[in-house]
Amino acid sequence: MRHRIIQEIASSVVAAGGVDNVIRALVESTTLGTEAKGCSFLTLSADNRHLLHRITYGMSEEYPYTQQILKREAKEQVLKGTPLLVLDVKSDPRVRYKEEAQKGGVVSIAFLPVRARYKIRGVMRLYFSEKKKFDREELDFLDSIAELGGIILQRAEDQDRLARDAEEARRDLARIRDERRHFLSFLSMVTHDLKSPLVAVQGYLKLLLRKSVDLLDERMTNGIRRSIQRIDGMMELISDLLELSRLESGQVVSEFKPVLWDDMLGAAVEMAHELSEPKGVAVTTEIHRPLPEIFASEIRLQQLILNLVSNSVRFTPRGGNIHISARRDEDSVVVCVEDNGEGIEPDKLPHVFEEFYKGDPESVEGTGLGLSICKRIVDMHHGRIWAESPPPHKETGTRVCFSIPVGVTCHIEERWKLKENGGRNNVDIL
Amino acid sequence: MAEKILLADDDPDVIEVISILLEDEGYDLITAGDGAEALEKIKLESPDLIVLDLLMPLVDGFGVFNALREPGYEPWSGIPIIILTSVREEVSNRRYELETGHRMDYAAYLEKPADPDELLETVSSLLGGRD
Repeated sequence: MRHRIIQEIASSVVAAGGVDNVIRALVESTTLGTEAKGCSFLTLSADNRHLLHRITYGMSEEYPYTQQILKREAKEQVLKGTPLLVLDVKSDPRVRYKEEAQKGGVVSIAFLPVRARYKIRGVMRLYFSEKKKFDREELDFLDSIAELGGIILQRAEDQDRLARDAEEARRDLARIRDERRHFLSFLSMVTHDLKSPLVAVQGYLKLLLRKSVDLLDERMTNGIRRSIQRIDGMMELISDLLELSRLESGQVVSEFKPVLWDDMLGAAVEMAHELSEPKGVAVTTEIHRPLPEIFASEIRLQQLILNLVSNSVRFTPRGGNIHISARRDEDSVVVCVEDNGEGIEPDKLPHVFEEFYKGDPESVEGTGLGLSICKRIVDMHHGRIWAESPPPHKETGTRVCFSIPVGVTCHIEERWKLKENGGRNNVDIL
Repeated sequence: MAEKILLADDDPDVIEVISILLEDEGYDLITAGDGAEALEKIKLESPDLIVLDLLMPLVDGFGVFNALREPGYEPWSGIPIIILTSVREEVSNRRYELETGHRMDYAAYLEKPADPDELLETVSSLLGGRD
């Protein structure tokens, strides 16, 4: 019981007052309560070799309360946890510097071990100007007071360590954030530098084609056209690789916010029209409203749908059709992009989400990364993506669907709203 | 008199390609290899149109935008600007808005590699609109 009460007091007072204030109060109250001349509180150094002064009450500056008073054996006895009472400093053989210890009229000194969790953390000394005797019960009580001091110290250290750990974690996080920022800026630099020469070369080729078309035969013209296309492919590959790295690095999480499906799908469908109509492919939609709000990256979801549409356009002949549908399915929203194009061969279907996988390895078009990027985006939203070819109840074509769970978004959503408000304020200040 | 176009890009080959393209159409070309040079030539030559790359040494394209908003550049702040860069449009806009709190006020945004016809059309529609 004694121990538990001490623990309880220790946690509440440390929280309320700060450790030095609490120990000062402890030292003062004990001095007054025992009618002592003064009291000092010393703590053991981290290596357990020295006693360091922490708080003193009632003693004059000249008194050696910061120094060692006892001889080694006696001091060690206290540090093993046994309280010790020097009745008369003048004659007690355990006192090391008798004259010094008597300064200011000190006659008796009580040495109380400061314990916490069975470990000695210091010594509390009570100085008296007359011979002071304690009975067993009094000494035991003083021992408890010293123990309270020890536990208060322990608690304060625990709190300090927690604070330090938290600070360290904060620093780690900042460092990781920093490294990620560096990495991303490095990536965009690399992308820029890889693309620049291609832009220049392609620029000359386009000029050449424009200005010299009459001078070149058909094969040469065709060769230059192909060169331009190959460079386009190369640049697309660089962009896709950058995109994959961005998705991998988790940078995209900062784009998450509540997404209104109507807005997002509306924009994606509009872009799908722009993409497919020049190729003579029609786009139809079937959106089952209402769709629940989800916590997601709007840009990435649009990119995902467009990637699927652009794949469909590539494999659907003129006059074909692309159908975009969206509906709620239990706790998810399912979006499908279906075409009536040439479809995917059954043995190739399981591989379509793999990096650099191309159905036709000879094809110059596409980087083989489009569907991997789609998969990353879906993973980021804890969703699922799958492909069917031909689509259910159809003869030809392909259907790729993804589902994004509505999930536990409300909680994050609210946190985001808080953050968003903060962010908005920042922008206003700018 | 031929319309004057300032072309700022740090890639000499891009400068060469676009110069050939635009000079063939009868435009007067002034070129700059970085943003600082571009700002100097804007004051000196008062071009009718600026074709501006964004990623350049010394002063980048964003810096040119900032400078043109300053009082010292008031006479030139109305010159239409075509951005011609490999940076995606939404990325540039987000960056500029985050850094300055303002919208980037350009007449057209073309992502590299731009199609020659598209660039020519954009240039002629902007210059034609002014006459």
